[in-house]
Amino acid sequence: MKLKKLALAATLASFIVGTTAAWSQTTLRIFTGGQQRPDVMRKIADEYEKRTPGVKIAVEVGGATSEAQQQYLNTVLTSKDSALDVVLIDVIRPAQWAAAGWAEPLDAYLGADKAKVMSQYMKAYADANTVNGKVISLPYFADSQFLYYRKDLLAKYKRPVPKTWDELMETSQIIMAGEKNPNLRGFETAGAPIEGTVCTFLVPLWGEGGDMLKNGKLNLDTPEARQPFQLLGRLKQAGVMSPNVGEIVTDRIRINFQAGNLIFAQTWGYVWNRSQNDADSKVKGNVGVAVLPASKTGKSATCIGGWQLAVSAFSKNKAEAVKFVRYLSSPEVSKMQAIAASHLPVFPSVYKDKEVVAANPWFEFAGPIVETARSRPVTPRYQEVSDAIRSNMNAYLSGTKTTDVALGDMKKRLEPVFK
Amino acid sequence: MKPSKDLSERALGWLLLAPVGILLALIVIYPVGQLIYSSFFTIRLTEPWLGTPFVGLENYAKAWEDERFWGALQNTILYIAITVPGSLAVGLGLAMLANLPFKRKWPVRLALLLPWALPLVFAGLIFRWFFDFKLGFVNDFITRFGFDPVPWLTNPTMAKIAICITIIWKSSSFMALVLLAGLQSIPKSLYEAAEVDGASKWVQFKEITLPMLVPAIFVALIFRTITAIQTFDIPYAMTGGGPGDSTETLAMYIHKNTLDFLDFGYGSALATIMFVVSIVATSGYLRYTQRSAGRD
Repeated sequence: MKLKKLALAATLASFIVGTTAAWSQTTLRIFTGGQQRPDVMRKIADEYEKRTPGVKIAVEVGGATSEAQQQYLNTVLTSKDSALDVVLIDVIRPAQWAAAGWAEPLDAYLGADKAKVMSQYMKAYADANTVNGKVISLPYFADSQFLYYRKDLLAKYKRPVPKTWDELMETSQIIMAGEKNPNLRGFETAGAPIEGTVCTFLVPLWGEGGDMLKNGKLNLDTPEARQPFQLLGRLKQAGVMSPNVGEIVTDRIRINFQAGNLIFAQTWGYVWNRSQNDADSKVKGNVGVAVLPASKTGKSATCIGGWQLAVSAFSKNKAEAVKFVRYLSSPEVSKMQAIAASHLPVFPSVYKDKEVVAANPWFEFAGPIVETARSRPVTPRYQEVSDAIRSNMNAYLSGTKTTDVALGDMKKRLEPVFK
Repeated sequence: MKPSKDLSERALGWLLLAPVGILLALIVIYPVGQLIYSSFFTIRLTEPWLGTPFVGLENYAKAWEDERFWGALQNTILYIAITVPGSLAVGLGLAMLANLPFKRKWPVRLALLLPWALPLVFAGLIFRWFFDFKLGFVNDFITRFGFDPVPWLTNPTMAKIAICITIIWKSSSFMALVLLAGLQSIPKSLYEAAEVDGASKWVQFKEITLPMLVPAIFVALIFRTITAIQTFDIPYAMTGGGPGDSTETLAMYIHKNTLDFLDFGYGSALATIMFVVSIVATSGYLRYTQRSAGRD
């Protein structure tokens, strides 16, 4: 009799355990952009699933550009849709996400560990993810713009890696004249009306010692503010930059560089891995990465990039989502990404890791550059700021506005935001 | 005068209309009402601390002073003025062609249907590659004849031409389908009689085909004009409004203000303006057709 009861209890118990196991099966949905290597994200997610029974990860891939992704997310999040649990967001967005209340602040989850956790990251990223003292997101990978160059062509013409924009122009002209390849251009940077074009404007402005804002007020009535137009106008006029720079989007620079059609390119960290490993790359082994050139008087400057992990405020699995985010924002995953995708680490220690350096020899000097890379203006109305800059820069690069008109229109649109 | 129907029959009529009425109220009248209502408020998701105060006509005053709004309106009108007659002309040609006595009709019909069945944004993406400066088919073609490549999508005039070509290509097939139906309803006997009277093909076209086709042309024009007012996908995919804002349409600017800048108050005001423009344009057509119908 006793035995029977025991068997019954055991069956009952196993039934309960079984159903709770089925109940505790959670699927987390993470949103990432097409250009942030969703394939690598999938591998990392597989690893996480192996370690965390009961959790499945679905990777949703969005548009190729930062603003295409955000436009989609705007519709999902303004309707308070709970479909997404974790979202990969551009470094420029935490302020907007915090203001709109889309990101679940992570302070409560980090608890007493908050200071310790945040101090592990490079300072720039700890800062970028904290808005008004609250941790809005955690960094996934770092990034900044670098000067990519063709080692073989510089060696062939015995030219050094350019330190100034003038040198870059001169070297480009010498190589273009020598190669006589009509498809070869000296330099390329983003010029289409997309987010990357904001950096096309800011890098030469900073390089000249200028800045967009001074004590929170718009500061574009300076001679430095004309520098981006003059520099890029000169490069385009000389034929160093292609006449179609107005239609160049970020990934197009990589495609052109990989096809062997560029001597220099101003672009992001991911290009290294693709140019070395893609089957169609014609520049394998001939790629160098350096600091962006400076103006004659100024210092080299670069734009900070990188992608952050935010937990959606509308997620129904916040606790599990935060655990997953903590994993994705760990030194271990930082290292996996560095090797698989040349994504720059957000932990200073990972830059010195032997395997990481073997895969990306230039990471040794990249760390300090990322540390000093500068942020685009931080405001919840960033989309308007970005639009004012990129559309006027695009109009100038396409030759439809002069420096005065483009700069004037840019100021007119920025003034209401920074009044 | 018919005798007035008894009450129960009238009630039944309303009852049968009710489902459609409710559906329309839910999916048309409520959103439009909500849109107009929102246009009188400040609703900025980027700055929730502003709250959503009533601001009266402030959003409309802002539009009045907004150069970019006027630019977008101008572009929209330009696209309407060029692509509506353009696609009518091309569509009429295609319809006449498809109306010829082919042995096999289905390949012709299929060719007519395909561009119409293609999603707008795909058409935009395909033509963006066509007009690409370096990799595009169009520049490859013209450079073979010794011409310089044209920066189609980064020159405001060229970009507008490229966009108009794409829109006309995309929308002509719809025009052709409607006009083809109209052509097939013209009795053959009219042409036979004209032949007997010795009328030339041109005179037949002018005196028989065109007048008989007027109702079909009006239907096609109304639909085409409404979609032209809403032009969004093709310029969005081809240029994103660039260079600068020179190819931006009203619909794109509304999208930018709402879904990009998250300024729903101002976006609603702009959308209300576009709604009014659509109503005015279509009621103009409708009045004209009603008048001509009354004449018959």
